[in-house]
Amino acid sequence: MRSRSSWSLAVHALLLAAALVMVVPLVWIVLTAFKERNEVFSQVPQWLPGHPTFNNFLGVLDAMPFWRYYWNTIVVAFGILAIQVVTITLAAYAFARMQFWGRDVLFILLLVQLMIAPQSTVIQNYITVTRLGLLDTKLAIMAPYLASAFGTFLLRQTFKGIPRELEEAAALDGCGTLRFLLYVAIPLALPGYLAFGLVSITYHWNEFFWPLVVTETTGSRTLTLGLGIFAQTAEGSADWTMLMAMTLMVIAVPLAAFLLFQRRFINSFMQSGLGG
Amino acid sequence: MSSQSGRIGKARRRWAQTLRPYAYILPTFVFLFIFTHWPILRTFYVSFFKWNMASPTMEFVGAANYVQAWKTPLFWQVLGNNLLFAAGTVPLTLAVALALALLINQKIRGLALYRALLFYPTMIPMAAAAMIWLWILTPNYGLLNYYGKWLGLPDVHWLGHSTLALWALVLVGVWKRVGYYMVIYLAGLQVIPEHLYEAARIEGAGPWQRFWKVTFPLVSPTTFFVGVMAVIDAFQAIDQVYLMTGGGPGNATNLFIFYIYQNAFRFFDFGYGSAISAILFLILLALTLLAFRTLHRKVHYA
Repeated sequence: MRSRSSWSLAVHALLLAAALVMVVPLVWIVLTAFKERNEVFSQVPQWLPGHPTFNNFLGVLDAMPFWRYYWNTIVVAFGILAIQVVTITLAAYAFARMQFWGRDVLFILLLVQLMIAPQSTVIQNYITVTRLGLLDTKLAIMAPYLASAFGTFLLRQTFKGIPRELEEAAALDGCGTLRFLLYVAIPLALPGYLAFGLVSITYHWNEFFWPLVVTETTGSRTLTLGLGIFAQTAEGSADWTMLMAMTLMVIAVPLAAFLLFQRRFINSFMQSGLGG
Repeated sequence: MSSQSGRIGKARRRWAQTLRPYAYILPTFVFLFIFTHWPILRTFYVSFFKWNMASPTMEFVGAANYVQAWKTPLFWQVLGNNLLFAAGTVPLTLAVALALALLINQKIRGLALYRALLFYPTMIPMAAAAMIWLWILTPNYGLLNYYGKWLGLPDVHWLGHSTLALWALVLVGVWKRVGYYMVIYLAGLQVIPEHLYEAARIEGAGPWQRFWKVTFPLVSPTTFFVGVMAVIDAFQAIDQVYLMTGGGPGNATNLFIFYIYQNAFRFFDFGYGSAISAILFLILLALTLLAFRTLHRKVHYA
């Protein structure tokens, strides 16, 4: 009995240490964001802000079109998801329930997207986007992601689980394939959609490199780019309090969503690992 | 007359039946072709051409771009940097992730909280993580130098140091990814049947032996899978390089994607950029295929 409680104490101690390493950086930037500009230049770290202030956050809103970046990020992340939902639903249904010539080969061609590193084709995708006249638009950021092998794969598994009799019964009642999808298959697959949606939104909300390559102006830039660009200006790189305030403004909403729906997020990411 | 139109109707319906699946997959394959298949083929094609600012029309040069890579010391340095970065991040991330998954897999209080605190870096953009760590690693006022002294760490400008800068990026990489891999391990641990541990206990195996004889072999498919993912991740790292070091000091942290970015989008050399992209593509493809082959032969299935 004694050894069990000392064991659980050790487990808690180890987990606490690990959790501290993960959380201290976050706490540190939150506290920094509320400090006055010159307060941070001290040899001995001062944890609590001497005179807590919101000026850094207001400064961010003055220094850049922050809400514009926010809006662009929302349009990009949710726009990608909206189109993906259509493409993956149709493809997943065909691969799960229909017989057609070349199906297996086509499925492998789909899985190629999971196997290749997207960064290795960035030059060519940049050229394609330029030729399509999409350079420096939100659509350019979205374009390479409108089909999703992962999403199709995930939904295909779910659709395969729907009993065939259900579809036959629906067909006898004069329910066509599209209507069956809309009223039966999609509602049954909602957990799959949710898992895919959370992973997709997170990924595209956070993306940096591809948007960096294909955007040039604030009209199309997303939050992560705004942050990166600000950090590289003379003003941003010298002003830690404002930079940390902006970092906090970028991560606040996704982080709050994660803390509220922790289980859902973690389960979704678990599936993304097992599927991809 | 009516029987003929009936036959046409039937034929049309059969056609619709045959074509329907293709109509369903068409949207996916249009996007997939333009942004996945075509760019792969085209990257290889362009890699055999001279195509840059100086010669804006493509000129066939055979393998010249590959020869250029072979002869460029920086190319080898970048490859070496990236291998070192992978060797630094992957085993460390996997070991810590597995250890954390084992700890969190116990029936303890506060589990959800621990899990959230360990997982949250997965949720934030790498760009934000880069900012956080830039501030922590900054010389003079940074948190790490102050508290690092207690742990015996040197008081240095981490990101300006020719060997330590890469290890600073390793640190950020592990911090950002370890929670994600922990969760994947957790899924692997939860399918190990309890009776195997019971049997091991009856045989008199201690916790250490139970780990090495039961847990470790049975999570090896996960280890394997996560390992390959982590190596591929390591070869895709770019955000933190771009934002934290810019590849410096003196190319000490120049990794593959950043090198591609420099050549294609700063020096506008699409020919050479495509050649090194093709090399990266082949490295990652070889890793993936090797992974799947060994997976079938060696790894223990639960």
